[in-house]
Amino acid sequence: MSVDVKMAWRNIWRNPRRSVLTILAIAFASTLLVFMLSWQFGSYDTMINASVKIHTGHLQIQAKGYMDKRSMRLVVDDPAAVGAVLNKIPGVAAYTFRAEAFSLVSSKERTYGVVVIGIDPLREAGVSTLKKLIRRGSYLTATDSNQALVGNLLAKNLQVNLGDELVVLGQGRDGSIAATVVKVKGIFRSGQDEFDRGAVHIPLEDFQDVYSMRGAVHEVVAAAGSLGQVPEIRRAAAAGIARLDEEDHLVVLDWMGLMPGLIEAIKMDLVSGFIFYIILIIVVAFSILNTFLMVIFERTREFGMLMAMGTSPGRLTKLLLIESASMTFVGILVGIVAGVLTTWYFQVHGIVIPGATEIMRQYGLPERMYPQLSLLSVSIGPCVVLLITLLTALYPALRVRRLRPVEAMAAA
Amino acid sequence: MTKKSILAPLLPLFVLAALCPPTYAQDAQALVEGAVTYYRGKASMALVDMTIHRTHWERTLTIKGWTRGQKDSIFTIIAPPKDEGNGTLKRGRQMWIYNPKVNRIIKLPPSMMSQAWMGSDFSNNDLAKSDSIIKDYTHTITGTESDGGKKVYIVQSMPKPEAPVVWGMQRLKIRDDHILLREEYYDENFELVKAMSGEQIQMLGGKLFPKVWKMQKADVQDEYTLLDYKELTFEQDLPGRLFTLSALKNPGR
Repeated sequence: MSVDVKMAWRNIWRNPRRSVLTILAIAFASTLLVFMLSWQFGSYDTMINASVKIHTGHLQIQAKGYMDKRSMRLVVDDPAAVGAVLNKIPGVAAYTFRAEAFSLVSSKERTYGVVVIGIDPLREAGVSTLKKLIRRGSYLTATDSNQALVGNLLAKNLQVNLGDELVVLGQGRDGSIAATVVKVKGIFRSGQDEFDRGAVHIPLEDFQDVYSMRGAVHEVVAAAGSLGQVPEIRRAAAAGIARLDEEDHLVVLDWMGLMPGLIEAIKMDLVSGFIFYIILIIVVAFSILNTFLMVIFERTREFGMLMAMGTSPGRLTKLLLIESASMTFVGILVGIVAGVLTTWYFQVHGIVIPGATEIMRQYGLPERMYPQLSLLSVSIGPCVVLLITLLTALYPALRVRRLRPVEAMAAA
Repeated sequence: MTKKSILAPLLPLFVLAALCPPTYAQDAQALVEGAVTYYRGKASMALVDMTIHRTHWERTLTIKGWTRGQKDSIFTIIAPPKDEGNGTLKRGRQMWIYNPKVNRIIKLPPSMMSQAWMGSDFSNNDLAKSDSIIKDYTHTITGTESDGGKKVYIVQSMPKPEAPVVWGMQRLKIRDDHILLREEYYDENFELVKAMSGEQIQMLGGKLFPKVWKMQKADVQDEYTLLDYKELTFEQDLPGRLFTLSALKNPGR
């Protein structure tokens, strides 16, 4: 170990309290950043899973163009064959078939334009949270016919209650006029107003009959075991469908393609998160700058002496940089370890947000939120702290060069 | 005496001229009213084939319709059998539809008025607001052209400030014998949204009338809706009971 390093190390511990406080400031900033970033990434996973499970699913197979046009005639002709492809993909937890049509729904009092969705009650329960979202009445059973599930806002708008009749009027796949009368069996609430105001679910078989679907559906909706498996499933499904679909008119869409708004919301949240982190880092940087400057004022005499004895200003700068760098490294190391340990604890046990449990459960969200450790969430924060601290330490280290030995020794 | 005082006696004349609407605007209004009165008549009965054409798909409905004045109309589908009996009643701005399978009448909510009528390129509004072009717009003649020796006026129609219309502008082509040749619908940015044109002008119901009407959206080539008049008769009047909710269930009685 060179003399410089030894001197720097001793200098640090000459005033242990000050050094420990500086190290702790750095460590605290790193810990906080590791935890916050892991928490943020973890909550995105929860958010995405919760949002896609209300209705969209992780992946959908549709006819090309259906996503934008929502045209009745853009169908998946042979849903069973697509199902067979999905059966062979290991990551697929469940899948279901849906058909949708924009229609007029009319009660005795009022009429609204909504999306009527044909669902397979048994399969649907495996993919979406619809069954759990039923607030009044009950979910559809496999044998139900001419029954409907209505969103709570729509039920309010239509002024209907359980058992009331709704007239559904739309256009079938062949362009004919589709009409039927259904009874309200259940009223659901997802918390997503658009969905609660604009959707009526009826059994898929009824739908196919009324809308002349001839066995076709509009969407095959799949749920993945975990969010991480989605890209892999998507590739496998696309390959399987390509073999099946000679005319190449089907397409596999993942949740990012299906819910572009969700990714936008996450990006917005990331940006606001980063603003908070930058403020945190600036505060830490100032406290470190302060400590390092204090060091110079306190030790002016000492530096003057060293210079008088022939130490070059360059060597003094080097000495100070080693001091600050060692403190920073120790601080960051402590920070990362503490951060990983705390995050890991909560990753295993979860965090219950007090008071929010009831609301979370109502909207099908898990009551515990889990942070998600990753290489990214562990490294980004500490790296930025490292960079900023080292830059901050440069200023006092360079300032030392301006000292004149005699004046410095005369200083208090 | 200054120059000002020489002009002073003339001033009231200028004011008067400014207050009076320019005469050509009145001409345009009369022209449009004439055209609407001409194609609607006092009352009419028609049998129309409506063909909805899409890229890989086509479908034809046969519709029987009655109109009275500028406000009332009733349509009922008579073919294909699957859709027989479905009807639409329009009185003023209000519309009802009837479906025989569920035997219910539904009143269309205002939010649905811009939706397609029976899956065609006509919106419910196009049907419900047939006299809107007279009441809700200010018309100016912007040019003329000739069509087979007849003069054709090009009318630009801007909606009145408070008018409940969805279009930012309409352009009409009206022949000097009152026949509406073309109606173009523009959005708020004055981009063409869709256009309807009359073709095959011939004697129908005792007067010259375009037998085929074609409605086409501006951004698609291969999609349109054709109205082909198989029969058309103009009447002096039709009984009011034809345009009631009960008539919607049993049209033509």
